[in-house]
Amino acid sequence: MDSSDKKLPKMDSCVNVEREVDKVLSKFAAVGDHSSRTLQDLVEHISNIRKELSEGNNDSDVTATQSLVLNQCLKKVKDTCQRLSNDHKDLHSSVSKVGKAIDRNFIQDISACSVEGAFVGVEKRSLLNEVICEHFFRQGMLDIGEQLIQDARLQIDEAQKEPFFELNRILEALKEHNLFPALEWAKRNRERLQQQSSALEFKLHRLHFIELLKGGPARQMEALLYSRNFEPFAYHHAKEIQTLMGSLLYVQQGVHNSPYLHLLDPIHWLDICDVFTRDACQLLGLSVESPLSVAFAAGCISLPSLLNINHVMKQRQCTNVWNQKDELPIEIDLGGETRYHSIFACPILRQQTTETNPPVRLVCGHVISRDALNKLNTNNKVKCPYCPMEQNAVDARPVQF
Amino acid sequence: MASGVKALEHSSLKVPYEILNKKFRVAQKTIDREVSHVMQATSELEKCLEGSSATVGKVVGLLDGVIEKLTGLKRKAEEAILAEDDSAKVCKRRIEHLKLHDSEQPSTVIQWKKKRLDRMLVEHFLRCGYYNTAIKLAKHSGIEDYTNIDLFLVSKEVEESLKRHETAPCLAWCHDNKSKLRKMKLTLTSVVTKMSTLEFNLRTQEFIELVRGNHRLDAVKHARKYFSQVDPEQMPEVQRIMGLLAYPPDTQVQPYKDFYEPSRWDAMVQQFQWENFKIHQISNYSVFCLTLQAGLSSLKTPHCYRDPESNYRNSQCPVCSKQMNELAKPLPFSHCAQSRLICNISGQIMNENNPPMMMPNGNVYGETALLAMAAENGGKVVCPRTKDTYTIDQVEKVFVM
Repeated sequence: MDSSDKKLPKMDSCVNVEREVDKVLSKFAAVGDHSSRTLQDLVEHISNIRKELSEGNNDSDVTATQSLVLNQCLKKVKDTCQRLSNDHKDLHSSVSKVGKAIDRNFIQDISACSVEGAFVGVEKRSLLNEVICEHFFRQGMLDIGEQLIQDARLQIDEAQKEPFFELNRILEALKEHNLFPALEWAKRNRERLQQQSSALEFKLHRLHFIELLKGGPARQMEALLYSRNFEPFAYHHAKEIQTLMGSLLYVQQGVHNSPYLHLLDPIHWLDICDVFTRDACQLLGLSVESPLSVAFAAGCISLPSLLNINHVMKQRQCTNVWNQKDELPIEIDLGGETRYHSIFACPILRQQTTETNPPVRLVCGHVISRDALNKLNTNNKVKCPYCPMEQNAVDARPVQF
Repeated sequence: MASGVKALEHSSLKVPYEILNKKFRVAQKTIDREVSHVMQATSELEKCLEGSSATVGKVVGLLDGVIEKLTGLKRKAEEAILAEDDSAKVCKRRIEHLKLHDSEQPSTVIQWKKKRLDRMLVEHFLRCGYYNTAIKLAKHSGIEDYTNIDLFLVSKEVEESLKRHETAPCLAWCHDNKSKLRKMKLTLTSVVTKMSTLEFNLRTQEFIELVRGNHRLDAVKHARKYFSQVDPEQMPEVQRIMGLLAYPPDTQVQPYKDFYEPSRWDAMVQQFQWENFKIHQISNYSVFCLTLQAGLSSLKTPHCYRDPESNYRNSQCPVCSKQMNELAKPLPFSHCAQSRLICNISGQIMNENNPPMMMPNGNVYGETALLAMAAENGGKVVCPRTKDTYTIDQVEKVFVM
């Protein structure tokens, strides 16, 4: 990063640029106002002179006094115009300061951290477009997805789009508090949902029941009849069903005045959208979040760090960050939710284990890499580096995380 | 520490700045021109006053001229200042939008991040020439003000005209940006030129088309008009081109065969795009692609490339998804010096609260998930990778430092 960054670590890049833009804006306003006003005054002034002049005889010569007044007036015109031009010219430094502030506060060239040609070529390009297209379908931006297919001449199977269309239709309905499309879908997929121990269908029925409760005494009969739908879930959700049935006691006085108030919390409607998305995506083998969103967000976090390290390495004349090894030069913390795989780094050799150098569990329970074990091995005896237990090297067992 | 804004948003601000800068120069030119008109009118009047026969009628007439020019100056100056003020406001609006990135309202930040992805996608689409998709997406997401669609639509027209083998719009564009193009240093195909060669190449192409159409006399006239004042550096090129007059369009002689190639038009499109990006400070790479690369790299682990059947992949992981897996192949893996373990059953982090436990077959899972499984299955646990069944007391603790 540049030096100004170090001096003013707390200064926000945007604020620095904004300050310069504000200056330019206020100067534009000042020059604009001033020029309009002075020119207007000037025009009026000359018009008055002209009026006085034209009251005299057209063919008579201009008097010396009149000539003097006119010459003074013309001098004023010339001065004013010259000043206007100069005033505007002086704005140039303010304007170019904006450009300099942008260059100073933002990184101009971020291409140092790219693998050249990684996304180049017809094949890669169409893969990338497919990813983007799926992202749009997933977000329910169907028309934009279709437009991309057309613009990029993509070949995407209707069958590939269909699940997204269905999910979106159901989610839209849920957002409008319409449970039926979701219930119908859950019934159709009941067996597979149960295999993944999903509570989706029960939760949908429960919400419907609660809606009936809200209807008060007029609908309690309907609610009672509807409770039969809970039967298939009796085993897993017995307690919740009891709660729901218990709430019927308070229908007369209103559930909102009862210990069952929590049933009416609107959060259940938000929750059901999440549950549906999660369970449906799992059933279809899709990720809950759009892979594009997740990967792009990860890039927004990692790119600045990579640029930083690249800058430092360049200063120390190291080779290119990305092509140096098959691995990024630094560890990047993306936050807890974006971890999808276990990584075991050998605590002795400080490197990730691989299929040829797998982690092994010593008899005492400590895990190190196979290469580290071989290094510690003397005459088939190993002393654990973390506890004093001595053991046979052959007793170490490979583990998989 | 550089933030995502600092790394990703340079061109979001620099592009409107370049437009502001251009508007400023246009305004200065307009004002200077109008001022010189006023000066001319005043000096005419002054001359008249100096002379002996300055009648009132004549002076009034000349005075009307001064008033007219002054009014003209006032109007033009107001228009020009308004135009530059508008483009400064575009910069201001973008900064205000960027400032939301660290808003105290989490929901604002979430929305901002969503829009950031959409903004970068719009820019990416424009660069790929998917104009309709870009426009639709910008509209959908309400980010028209924060993207450079207008700029790209101008270039779209020029590109399309070049593809139709028309030179006029591109020549007009060259004229519009004359001073910038003249100052531009270009490195095209390892030849460094002092200034843009776009106009010269367009004229060359016109010449080629005249010769192709067998209008050789017109071609000579054309050459006389446009090639006689070229930069001395280009003289050898001019001589080569003039040689074309001697060869018919179906010639096999080089380099004349190449001159007749229609693919020269595609090269013109390419050159125009580059120079257009360059004078507007648009980078030659897509920020979206670079960010995505960095993101994929920081998520990429060796597990993402293990046998899909082996149950090491994670459907939530972007790099494990089909297309991204392919896209991420040439990219480096993430770096990890400290072990981080994720339970393959629950997706939860394994640490002192959820200690890693090893089954007799060497697979490690979190204690929480195994205890829950054992509670449901009468003390039995099933390895999801191998389907081996064990009892919970066969599972042993492992210690990971």
